[in-house]
Order: sequence, then structure tokens, then C-alpha cells
Amino acid sequence: MPDTKTLLILIPALPLAASLLTAVLGARVLRERSHWPTVVAIALSCVASLLLIYRVHHGIDERAAAGEKGRDGAARLVSGGPARQHGAEGESEAAEPEPKVDYEHVVSIWTWAVVDDAYELENDDPSAAVDARTSEMRSFSISVTLRADPLTAIMLGMVTFISMLIAVYSIGYMHHDPGYWRFFSYIPLFVFSMTMLVSVSNFVLLYVFWEAVGFCSYILIGFWYHKPEAAAAGKKAFLVNRVGDFGFALGLFLLWTAFGTLDFHDVKLARDADTGRAVVLHDTELVTDAAQPGQVSAGVLGRERIDRQGEWLAQHGPKATGGPYHHGTLLAMAICLLLMLGACGKSAQFPLHVWLPDAMEGPTPVSALIHAATMVTAGVYMVARCMPLFLASTTAQFVVAVIGGFTALLAALIAMTQTDLKRILAYSTISQLGYMFLGLGAATLLGVTAGMFHLFTHAFFKALLFLGAGSVMHAMAGVIDVRRFGGLRRVMPATHWTFLFGCLALAGIFPFAGFWSKDLILEAIHEQAGGGAGALMYQALYWAAVATAGLTAFYTFRAYFLTFWGKEMIPEEAGDHAHESPRVMTLPLMILALCALGVGAFFELTHGFARFLGHTPSAVYHAGLAPAAEHGEALDLTIPLTGTAVAVGGILMAALLYLGPREKLVGGLTAVMTRLGLYRVSHRKFYFDEIYYGFVVGPLKVLAWLSYAVDRFVIDGLVNVCGMVPKAFGATLRPLQNGMIQFYALAMILGLLVLMGALLPFFN
Amino acid sequence: MNPEAALLNNYLIVGAMLFGIGMIGFLSRRNMIVMFLAAEMMLQGVSLTLVAFARFHNDYGGQMLVVFVIAVAACEAAIALALVLMLVRRSGKLDVAVWHALREADQPAFAEEEPPEEPAEPQEPSPQLTQAGLTPEIPREETEYRPRV
Repeated sequence: MPDTKTLLILIPALPLAASLLTAVLGARVLRERSHWPTVVAIALSCVASLLLIYRVHHGIDERAAAGEKGRDGAARLVSGGPARQHGAEGESEAAEPEPKVDYEHVVSIWTWAVVDDAYELENDDPSAAVDARTSEMRSFSISVTLRADPLTAIMLGMVTFISMLIAVYSIGYMHHDPGYWRFFSYIPLFVFSMTMLVSVSNFVLLYVFWEAVGFCSYILIGFWYHKPEAAAAGKKAFLVNRVGDFGFALGLFLLWTAFGTLDFHDVKLARDADTGRAVVLHDTELVTDAAQPGQVSAGVLGRERIDRQGEWLAQHGPKATGGPYHHGTLLAMAICLLLMLGACGKSAQFPLHVWLPDAMEGPTPVSALIHAATMVTAGVYMVARCMPLFLASTTAQFVVAVIGGFTALLAALIAMTQTDLKRILAYSTISQLGYMFLGLGAATLLGVTAGMFHLFTHAFFKALLFLGAGSVMHAMAGVIDVRRFGGLRRVMPATHWTFLFGCLALAGIFPFAGFWSKDLILEAIHEQAGGGAGALMYQALYWAAVATAGLTAFYTFRAYFLTFWGKEMIPEEAGDHAHESPRVMTLPLMILALCALGVGAFFELTHGFARFLGHTPSAVYHAGLAPAAEHGEALDLTIPLTGTAVAVGGILMAALLYLGPREKLVGGLTAVMTRLGLYRVSHRKFYFDEIYYGFVVGPLKVLAWLSYAVDRFVIDGLVNVCGMVPKAFGATLRPLQNGMIQFYALAMILGLLVLMGALLPFFN
Repeated sequence: MNPEAALLNNYLIVGAMLFGIGMIGFLSRRNMIVMFLAAEMMLQGVSLTLVAFARFHNDYGGQMLVVFVIAVAACEAAIALALVLMLVRRSGKLDVAVWHALREADQPAFAEEEPPEEPAEPQEPSPQLTQAGLTPEIPREETEYRPRV
């Protein structure tokens, strides 16, 4: 079995190789066989990811068995109280069987750039007197460093598994497309970028791959580039993402200023024998606990920082501000808000959510892969990874939660009146991502676990729903307006049943996957609403989340009933196309349906997910800070029942309105809503696009016109004036050549006279 | 000034006058042959200056140079007259202003100034003498100007 380093390298490298191979050979050599490199590479990546998960798990067990519990601080932290003796480990182990062993395995592959003497690091030993503190110059190195820890392993497993299924599905979906080979070159490029994004261990490379997935999204949305809507949608996605990336970049700059390093992990230092300066050792693996402070360059999310800060907090209480690594609340808030802006762009949260519905112009497998399961979860992953930073600022936590909750509700309201099946699913994605941010905004271990678990389950059932929609679209020859087809449950039985599973999972009905993850999020919010800072707001968010759950069930089943029930309607374009999709498309649907059914229950009832995730270094930090978050132990069924009740209510409402011929009722309700102005507001997406067009695009167009004017008149004018000078000079000299010989002779004589006059003083 | 220098001055003045007249003639005349004559006059002025200096400095280098100048002037005369012949054959005129084609594109061509129109005097018919003998058959233009040489 290959070692961790090999696995970490193989997982992104195989898709990259497949992408390059298909790009070079696809057009002429591979043609209809272009899918083979992609499918094989991603399948192998998937196997490698599962092996990696096994490895990480094994590593955790090994460390637990060896009695390593992280540094002293972590042990103290986790036992939940101030200054217990180290010898009381045995007791703490029995009392808290929850995660306290953390595991990370960091592998450096290649050093990209090193800047010597980049940062003046103060010797931040808090015990030293202020004037006795020295500073030294540290170098800044950007190295391609990959990490294997539970969070990464979970993301890799999910991404590669779903990518593999979607690649297989695409074989059938894109079968007749002339750009077949191009598609199967873009997809593994995206998988490479995404796997690297979740594997890298420093912020610079995270940003690089953040941009890379944005770019892959752009080329995949605009896959049918000759279609103007697709090209425009690709541009819109990229530009809106760019706004978020700008915030992310500013956050990185602030991080650098505050921390002096952009690595997640601690890096071992060696002292240069001659000068005594610190030399960062590249290509070293994880810093072991035996390293002394000063021998380690502390990473932003590394153990050194977490442990020392944790020790301080254990002494001063969990909500105290300060400590050796606390750089000021305002700075922490600024960093977190800027990072959140980046996450908003990538994960389509308010106010940067406008690109995701338009991104449905791309092929459906693209929508399933990128805009449901993987790219949009990058923002959630990043915030989850940076949780120790968010813990320093309660304002930032509030903002995350509020943005999440608001977006969830907003998107659910919009989805209720849309008529394009993929758009409904797109708004559903935005809404569910809002749920994830809501969970993360609770900033407790339960919240983070809930957010990540929802990410995990959502990937499966949302991909399933999108692939199902693609199957319908494939059969209906490209028609995706739900008003134009109906009653398809007899025409496409496999698609129907798998889509139903997906809908039940999305609505959150027991025992499907969505039930467990949504329930966890509601619990996390409810817990924060119980007491502490901002309880009232969390209470409001809890009720917003519950309302959104009901709306989710409503619009999901509205789409389901309009598509698969009612009178059988086939649009004319479909003709004889309207049959069940080929096996290559339905098989991934069935696999995903089984996952949507089982994955939630399996991972939640065994507490496997929570336990596994809890071994991430930043989560260990969490565990000590929050009040005891024993999820799933208490048999308090209020929250699950509330969730299920609103979901079932939503389903019943949808059935009432859309099941069977109820046009009069629907029509009446629509009329009432229109009279109230609500229907139009929802249908027009709360006029966000119009507002942005007026307030953002409009001024930008004016600015662009001004720039064009300056470029054409001022700059080009200046250049033209420069060009006119030789012309004028020439025009002045040209009359000297008029063809008259005597004129030339006269000129010669005059010149001679001038010469003689100039030289006369030199003759004595 | 010693008498020899004064004598030299006289020669130089004459030489300069010759050169000057020659230069002005070259620049202001339009007849190619007259221009050439003027150029030759410039050469003679220079030769006189050279001979005067040779006599003054008692250095016969000057006179030797004058012999060269005369020889060169002769060759130059041959070539120049041959060229003038070719040019006149082409254009039919001895006017150097005809040859203004090698000029910049936007410069105007040489336009001969027309002499002012003289008011037509009422021509009284010249008195006709009674013919004595036979009238010769020569056309009127022939008697005034022969175009072909």
C-alpha cells in the first residue's frame, strides 16, 4: 500500500495527467474514446482517496495508542477545565472519550519561491519583558505542501467519488457533442484544481487553486461558447467570483501582516551555525511534539499557535480575548470578514450569489459537479479550515451565520416560483450552502461538524438531483421548462425513482441523508440560541432555518410533481427521444440514490463522521473551547420533529397545489400572490440582477466608456501628436527639393558662405 | 603694404570678379550653354588666383595646378556639351528650367511667368512694295528661327 506522500501526490496528479493527455490526443487520436483517460484517472484518484482516509484513520489510532495527545496545552484544553495536572490523563480519557488526538501529515513536494528576510518576527515569548524581546528575520517560502488530515481526507473522498460518477454519466450525456474530447479534458483539470485546493497547506496555494477552480468553472460554463448566453454566463461567473477573490486576496495580505507566515502547518527550523539565523527546512514532514518553541515557525493554523493560544484561553476562560497569538480584535475581524467575502464569491452567498443560476447554461454534468458538489463547497471548506481565526472574533461569526441564514431564506423564496428545473436546483444549492454557513457561523465544534456534514450529504443528493434533471433534459431534447413536460414517471422510471430519493433527501425526511445533516445544523443553531452572546439573533436564525426547511420541501416537491406527475406531456422537440436514459447514465443515478438514502444515517448513527472530523488539528482546538457539545447523546427529539414537521408540511402543500389537475387552485393562489406583489418579486429573483445592472454594471459601463475616450483621444492623441512632429519637420524641409537646379546651386553656395564665415576666425 | 602684395591684390581682385560674375551668371541664366560659359568663367577666375599666388610665393605649384584645371576644363566642356545636346534633343529647348521633374511630390511645378500681355497695337499694314522679280518660296518661320540644328 503506497505511503501517504504518494497518495497525496497521486490524487491530484492523475487527473492532471488525464487532462493533458486528452487535450493533446483527444481531437485526432481518441475522439469518441476521449473519456477513457478521465474515467480511469478519476477512478484511481477515488481509490487513492479512500486509501488516504484509511491511512489517516489508522494514523489516528496509532497516535491514540501511543499515548500522544498533542502538546500539553491540547490535553489540558480538551479536558475542559483550567490547569489540570498532566498526570490526570487517565481520568480525562475516561471522562471525555471524544477526540483529543489530532492528526496531520504534511508533505512538502517542491519549493516554488523563497524570499529571504521577508518578515521581521518578534520573539513573541509572552513571558519575556517587552524591551527584552528580540526580533529576527524570517524568510517567506511558498512551497507546494500537501497535507493529510481528516478534513482534507473527507473532502478528497467526496470530491473524487462524485467526480467519478459524474464522469461516467457524462459519457452518455455528452455523447453526440462535437466538443466531446474538450469536455473530457476540462473535467479532470477541474478535479485536479479542486483536489489540490483541499490538499494544500498554505494560503498562497489555496488562492492559486481557488482561482484555478474559478477558471475551470468559467471554461465549463461557457463550454458551448458559440452560444451567447453561455459565454455571458461564464463571464458573469468569473467576474462575480473575482470580486470575492479580491476580498480573499486582501484577507491574505492582512494574514501575512499579522502572522508573518501563510502556512497552515508549523515548520521546523534549523539554526544556521554561522549566523545563528533561522533557516526554514523545506521538505520536512510534520513537526513532532518534541520540538521546542523557537525551533518552530508557527503556521497560521498550526499546533504551536493553537496549543499556546489554547493554554492561554484555558487559563483565562474560553470567551476571553487576548493571549500570545491574539493580534487585536479588529484585525481578526477584518481578516475573517475578508475571507468570508471570498467564500461568498465562491459559494454563491448573498451578495455574490447572482452567478450561480446563470451558470446553469453549462452542460448538466458541469452543474452537478461544480455547482452542486465541489466548487461551491470550496468556500465552506475554507471557512471550516480557518475556524481558529474566526474564533477570535464573535462579530465575524455572527456575520457568517447571518449571511448564511439570510441567503438560505432568500434563495428558498426565489426557488418557489422558478419554472426552469435547473434554476430551481441552482437556487436550492444556494439555499443549502446558506445552511452550511449557518452551521459554521455557530462556531462551535457541533456547528463546524454540522456544516461539514451537510456539505458531505448535500454533495450526494444535489449531484443526484442535477444528474436526474440532466437525464430529463436529455430525454426532452433540451427542454427544461417544467411547464412544458409532465407525467414523466412512466416514461422514465429509473430517473423518476432516483430523483424522488434525491428530493426526499433534500427535503430532509427520515431516514434520508438530508434529515441527519439538517437536523445537526438546527441543533447547532439552537444551542447557540440558548445563551451567550447574540442569543436573540441566533434564535431568529433558528426560526429562519426552520422556515427555509419548509420552503425547501415545498419547492423541491413542486418541481418533482410538475415533472413526474400530472398529465403526460412531451414537448414537440423531443419526438421519439423521450425514453429512459442509457445504462451509463442511470447507473450513477442509482449509486447516488443509494448514497442519498444511506450515507447520512450511516455516518451519523455511528458518530463516525463527527469523530473522524474531530481529529483535525483545528477541531481539537474547538473541542476545548466550546461548552460541552455532546451531539446526538441527548434524546431530545424536539428539533428533529420540528424539522420533519415543516418538511412534511411543505410536501403536503406542494402536493395540494401541484398534484393532479388543480390549476384553478394554483391559479387563484398565484393571482393572490401577484396582487400582493410577492409573486413577481420572487419570480424576478428579487430584482437582484436588475439592481446590480443599475448600480454596478451601469457605472462600470460609464467608466469603461470614459476609459475608452481617454484612450482614444488623450493617449492616442498624444501618440498621434508625437507622430506629427516628424511630419511637420519634413513638411518644413521638403520645399528645398523643388527640382530647380539653379536653386540647388544657390543653396550650395550659401552653405559654402556659411561654412567660410564659421571658419574665418580660425584663419589668422 | 609692400608693392608686391599690392600687385597681388590686383590680380586677386580680378580673379574674384571673374569668379563672381561667373557665379552670378550660372545662377541667373537659364540657357544651358550660357550657364556652362559662366561655369568656365568661374574656373578662369580660380586659375587667375592660383597663378597670382604662384607668382607671389614663387612657387610653381600654382601654375601646375592651373595646367590641370585647364585640362580638366577641356574635358568637362566636352562632356557638358554632349549632355546639353542630349537634353536639348529630348526637350527641344535649351532652357534648364524644363528639367524640374525630380522634385518632391507636393511641390509645384515650375511655371514660367508669362510676360504681361502687351496691348495689341493696331497694326497698320506695312506698306507693300511692288514686287520686283519673283517672290522666294521660303516659309516665314524658317527665316526667323531654325529649330533643327
